[in-house]
Amino acid sequence: MNENGNIFALLPLIVFMIFMVGISVFVRNRQAEKNFVGNYFIGNRQLGGFVLAMTTVATYSSVSSFVGGPGMAYSVGFGWIYMAVVQVTAIFLVLGIFGKRVALLARKLDAVTVVDIIRARFQSDFIAAIAAFVIVLFFCGTMTAQFVGGAKLFSAVTGYSYESGLILFGLVVVIYTSIGGFRAVALTDTLCALIMMVGIVLLLYHVLDFGGGFSQMINTLEKSNPEMFEPFSFGNMPWTIYFTQWLLVGICTIALPQSVVRGISYKNTKGLHEAMLIGTIVVGFMNIGINFTGILAHGVLPGTAADYGGVDNIIPTTIVTVMPQSLIGFAIIGPLAASISTISGLLIVASSAIVKDIYMHYKQKNSSEVSPGTLKILSVATTAIIGTIVFVIALTPPSLIWLINMFAFGGLETAFFWTLLLGLFWKKSNKLAAMLSMTGGTVIYCATQAAGFKILNLHQITIGITCSLILFLIGAYFGKPSDEKTLKLFFPDKN
Amino acid sequence: MAKLKNASQKMSDAEKFCTVRREAIYTFLSLAVLIVFWLFAGFGTSSSDAKIFGLPFWAVFGTVGVWIFAIFLSFVLSRILFKNMDLGGDGDE
Repeated sequence: MNENGNIFALLPLIVFMIFMVGISVFVRNRQAEKNFVGNYFIGNRQLGGFVLAMTTVATYSSVSSFVGGPGMAYSVGFGWIYMAVVQVTAIFLVLGIFGKRVALLARKLDAVTVVDIIRARFQSDFIAAIAAFVIVLFFCGTMTAQFVGGAKLFSAVTGYSYESGLILFGLVVVIYTSIGGFRAVALTDTLCALIMMVGIVLLLYHVLDFGGGFSQMINTLEKSNPEMFEPFSFGNMPWTIYFTQWLLVGICTIALPQSVVRGISYKNTKGLHEAMLIGTIVVGFMNIGINFTGILAHGVLPGTAADYGGVDNIIPTTIVTVMPQSLIGFAIIGPLAASISTISGLLIVASSAIVKDIYMHYKQKNSSEVSPGTLKILSVATTAIIGTIVFVIALTPPSLIWLINMFAFGGLETAFFWTLLLGLFWKKSNKLAAMLSMTGGTVIYCATQAAGFKILNLHQITIGITCSLILFLIGAYFGKPSDEKTLKLFFPDKN
Repeated sequence: MAKLKNASQKMSDAEKFCTVRREAIYTFLSLAVLIVFWLFAGFGTSSSDAKIFGLPFWAVFGTVGVWIFAIFLSFVLSRILFKNMDLGGDGDE
């Protein structure tokens, strides 16, 4: 470990991480032995409203919401918050549109994963395999971004090395997710979401205190940076960003498998209804709170983001500058909680894609039994192995974390948006439509990203989502309709 | 947990899926309403010189205002328009 570190910054974090592992061990010991897979991957559909809201928000809000986002708000101004606030739609949309549909279907089909539902809807192992592959691939990208973002922040704030940060929170999140499964993920996520909110309030308070109070800070800012008070920020915030962000972090997020799977996990509709309201309150609070703090950081760090080494350094530098030494350790837990709660949520779904969607399905198809003991070891081991692989990738970090995050977000949305939305709500959807949309859309999205090709300077999600819709409709028109049995199961209202 | 007394709990499968479809449409309409509100609250008021807490009106109305409006929509959806139902598992006692 680096010797220049601030030990005060480590203690609260160490205690927090030990507590997380403690929760996981506790959950594991209380888990019933029967139905291990249902327990491990969706917590036996026992989540209440509050935990459902918190785990959905915490998985959705990543480290880039806490570091890259407010850094951009620092550069752009209030236009950035105006753009970020579109995320208030994310929770009520996913729970309102998919929450009950997925819950009903999961109980009928005894489904544990989103891929289970996709497989049953389109009666295709190939589509299920593609879905599982897309999930694992893009989740690994997002998780790497979370690891890198968290460890960079850790290193900048505490003075300890990047690697020691990765070990401290990265390995721990892999350990507690592997041990406790989904139930542990949901409970730790809830704690993380609460800590994130406390962290935002704490930082905002100290930024205001350091900068001489709200009125003074705003008056100074209005004189030095008038563009920050205009929605287009004198051209820094073109309409194209607003438009694509509505798609990328607003509307299309409803199809993210890590969000949709939460529809399988809750106990009853009362909880779902509660979660829609609580989730919307919390996601708005976080987005406005942290980005507003980013703008006010001007009162702490005058000049431009480039003076501090780029937008990603604004929040870490602000924390170090305004927080008293004894509180730095608490201030860093918030953003790290955002990072670990996203990692844990993705890790458990990625693991379920391999164990449940591929391995178990293959075994069942060949009518070979898998003993409960083997399944248990396999589930835990798979979670641990995926986590470790991502951890190792993060040791030699790729640059531009928020771009990787957005790339993966867009890829998942392109693959799943129409397949899930039309698949579950449109009777004419069929196997060919899903296959074309999922594979074609994703390939086109990745190709345009790789080539840097854009239309009207819009993010490639617009191309991905449009192509994926066109391909879906072509498939629906030319493909063979789904069989009667499937339609009866998925659309009993129309029969 | 107390049994949910809502009569709609005894819905048939077809009724449940019908309700779920209707609720999805309500959610979609809420999104449309929110988008219009968002456009109006921010861009629509950005030319105004009015201030709230020393900030331009649009910067408050387009952010905190949108948030509060979204909470209102979620409230209407979840407390008024959405119906409780038995999901068919062992969760609803």
